[in-house]
Amino acid sequence: MALSREHHAALFECAPGGERPCVIHAVDVKKIYGAGENQTFALRGATLDVYKGEYLSIMGPSGSGKSTLFNMIGALQKPTDGRVYIDQVDIAHLDHNELAWLRCRKIGYVFQTFNLIQVMTCLENVMLPMSFAGMETDAAREKAVTILKLVGLGHRALHKPAELSGGQQQRCAIARALANSPEIILADEPTANLDQRTGQEMIDLLSHLNKTLNVTVISATHDLKMLQSSHRILWIEDGRIVKSAKPEELDFSSSEFH
Amino acid sequence: MIKEQVQLPLHVALTVAMQGIRIRFGRSVVTILGVALGIAFLMAMLAGMALNRGVAGEDRARAEARRMLNFLTVESGSLDGKTASIICTGPLDPFEERLVGQLSAAGLEELRWTALAGTPPPAVSSGAPFRQTYLSGAGDGASALIVMGAGPPPDIVWEPVLAGMRKQLAAFTRAIPASPPGDAHTTIVSLSREPSADERERAAAEKRRAAARQLWVIVISLAVTVIGISNAMLMSVTERFREIGTMKCLGALSSFIRMLFLIESAFVGAVGSVAGCAAGALFAALAYTGIYGLALTTRSAYGQLSSLALYAAAAVAAGMVLSVVAAIYPASVASRMVPANALRSNV
Ligand SMILES: Nc1ncnc2c1ncn2[C@@H]1O[C@H](COP(=O)(O)OP(=O)(O)OP(=O)(O)O)[C@@H](O)[C@H]1O
Ligand SMILES: [Mg+2]
Repeated sequence: MALSREHHAALFECAPGGERPCVIHAVDVKKIYGAGENQTFALRGATLDVYKGEYLSIMGPSGSGKSTLFNMIGALQKPTDGRVYIDQVDIAHLDHNELAWLRCRKIGYVFQTFNLIQVMTCLENVMLPMSFAGMETDAAREKAVTILKLVGLGHRALHKPAELSGGQQQRCAIARALANSPEIILADEPTANLDQRTGQEMIDLLSHLNKTLNVTVISATHDLKMLQSSHRILWIEDGRIVKSAKPEELDFSSSEFH
Repeated sequence: MIKEQVQLPLHVALTVAMQGIRIRFGRSVVTILGVALGIAFLMAMLAGMALNRGVAGEDRARAEARRMLNFLTVESGSLDGKTASIICTGPLDPFEERLVGQLSAAGLEELRWTALAGTPPPAVSSGAPFRQTYLSGAGDGASALIVMGAGPPPDIVWEPVLAGMRKQLAAFTRAIPASPPGDAHTTIVSLSREPSADERERAAAEKRRAAARQLWVIVISLAVTVIGISNAMLMSVTERFREIGTMKCLGALSSFIRMLFLIESAFVGAVGSVAGCAAGALFAALAYTGIYGLALTTRSAYGQLSSLALYAAAAVAAGMVLSVVAAIYPASVASRMVPANALRSNV
């Protein structure tokens, strides 16, 4: 682990101490599902840097490989080829214990389908990652209440996910992602199961958290309207990153945005 | 910079597991029922075996009494609507008691009881009117005279007794006295007899067959139990793959997830096994009460108490071990799954 960090430090565009510290550095990541005739090239070599504190949107049509890329950079799945560095550590060198630690503390995941634990209340869902991190119950409860208030769900803390609206469930999931004060929030199409207005609220919430907590947000979407808040947008098509732009370079009034 | 994830203390897993069981109560009950059903089946078989041993003596006595009654009716013709008279020389053995019972249920018009040694007639549940007489009235109009009991062969003057009979027939359940009663017109029947070599052979073969049948039943019930429990536990784990995946995303260690399911399946297994064991034993008891009556079943259960306890312990242990193994195996596979795959599964 230590060896690889030194070895690969030279590769970093945004090396430590550089102007823009880099939280995620992915080099030529490939992912092939299946074998033989059923091979699917979900990622054909994606290279990207994610800077600390930025709000990065990843755009792409359905099936282009967004979720696959998220799984790779979120340490939820191993790439077939290529390297992923999180905070300058090659995650291929981490064992199960270290990966669990990474997922617990460094990254907060937000899913399209919310993935809340149905049998737990909202509060307990938020407390769960804290107890995985070894936090005392009382301290965890206190912190969870604070976070739930922050995401605007303080009044529904003791309800089960099934008793919440989609938007409220996603707020709860965002609160849970924030539980251990991660550096990165990975949100894979967080608005896909929500209506337009609620989706916009989620984007605004993520953007707000990004500004106030300085947490890095990486959000996948195929909805162009979700792009205004981002600092940078990457386009992915057929497993390749094909374009990068800043929102100010885009013309949101053009027809493709309506 | 990257550290080891902390190993959570047991009580955290315990809290989470119990919470899951409580909240998924309906689902837990279904799983528990699955386990209980399997164990109930197993326990009913085992308890049936134990009770069967207890009532084997009764079964033999009944069969022997039936044989004696058949033997008697071969000589006397059908006893339907006739009168039979019993002369009791002393305490009865179980065969004789059953014979009295079967006689009283054989459609007689009257069953007489003459106690030479003061032995009271055995309690019979139903059948012909039971009348206690003196020796002088024993034979009047009777079609059969049956001498039974452990006393010495009756040293009585037979002629007046036999004279009043419709048909002079004297049957002995035990040894026939050295000087048999009556004359050439009297039929003397011995109801007791040594089983022939052929019969002994047949009995032994029947015993072997019964043992094989029993083994087969145990094997089947074990298979039913294993399949039932594995299925119940497997379902309860696979339908939670997504939850397992989510927990892994939140930083759960595989060992924590295994612990979670270990606790849960042990609890479900324990409750289900105990409930199933009780239900199975109850079922067997009810079934045997239906066939042999409450008194005999209770007596048999008391006689077999130690093996019943052993069977119950074995059934509960089998249920718990099976539940834990059936749940832990898929749970540990799931806990080692790549989180992305666990999340994608949509069972
Ligand atoms: N587990 C898998 N096994 C086989 N093929 C897979 C698997 N997961 C994804 N794929 C394939 O990889 C490609 C990329 O899938 P991915 O889920 O990354 O797309 P996406 O951009 O997230 O799409 P969407 O916007 O619909 O979520 C698709 O062709 C998909 O069929
Ligand atoms: Mg996707």
